[in-house]
Amino acid sequence: MALNILVVDDSSVMRTMIIKTLRMSKLPLGEVHEATNGQEALTVLDGNWIDLALVDINMPVMDGEEMLNSLRQNPATADLPIIIVSTEGSETRKERLAQKKAGFVHKPFTPETLRFAILRTIGGSNEQEAGG
Amino acid sequence: MSKKLAAELLKAATLTFEEMGFLLPTAEVDEEQRNAQAEAAVSVDFRGPFSGKLLMRVYGGLLPILAANMLGEEDAPPKSLQYDALGEIANVICGNVLPGIAGSKEFFHVSAPRMTENIDLPPAAEVQVGFGLGRADLLLFIGDLAPME
Repeated sequence: MALNILVVDDSSVMRTMIIKTLRMSKLPLGEVHEATNGQEALTVLDGNWIDLALVDINMPVMDGEEMLNSLRQNPATADLPIIIVSTEGSETRKERLAQKKAGFVHKPFTPETLRFAILRTIGGSNEQEAGG
Repeated sequence: MSKKLAAELLKAATLTFEEMGFLLPTAEVDEEQRNAQAEAAVSVDFRGPFSGKLLMRVYGGLLPILAANMLGEEDAPPKSLQYDALGEIANVICGNVLPGIAGSKEFFHVSAPRMTENIDLPPAAEVQVGFGLGRADLLLFIGDLAPME
């Protein structure tokens, strides 16, 4: 199954880096969508089938944790796999994100770290397809 | 100026430049790097158990190289992307240095990066990191210096 992925980050350079990493990762990629903040991401999610969202925390308009809260409260998106990709160093906040069933990748990240986090989040069948 | 703060700043900067910018620091900043022309400066504010600002200046052609490396391109990208890349580097360094100083339980809010002029206060820590013909200067200020967005 090809994965439709949404990359949410206010930095265009960081979105490009994440997408390049995804393309190098041998994951079965479908459509890759981009959004510059949580509000924009919710609009993308409204109109597109998304299998996984990679989300920054510190963004203008709506930050990543607000977006995560909104998604978890909506029955249609409550189980959407989400990985927070952030510089966040607070264990307290990371535990809070884990309780909301979000994976976590710390910036700076290597391609291997991101790939491993995706495989762990999306689970077995895609891991085999990706050669992991 | 605290040696511990400077050591944490150098560690975060080295890691970020290596992993995001694919740039390896030189062992020391040499004369040519020290005399390199300033290109741009960016800062990020942080608020938490203590507040402050991280200011980063780059010199000697580092700005386009950094952005091109991050984007995986051979040619220099447009200026707007170069500044975006610089801001993201500063943001990541700041996010990585704070837990080293305050501990991993503490929570900070880090602002969006902005292009910055000089700050007329003595920094709590300052480090220089050499790369090729250029360098990056990082200055950490502690205290309530400017309003966050």
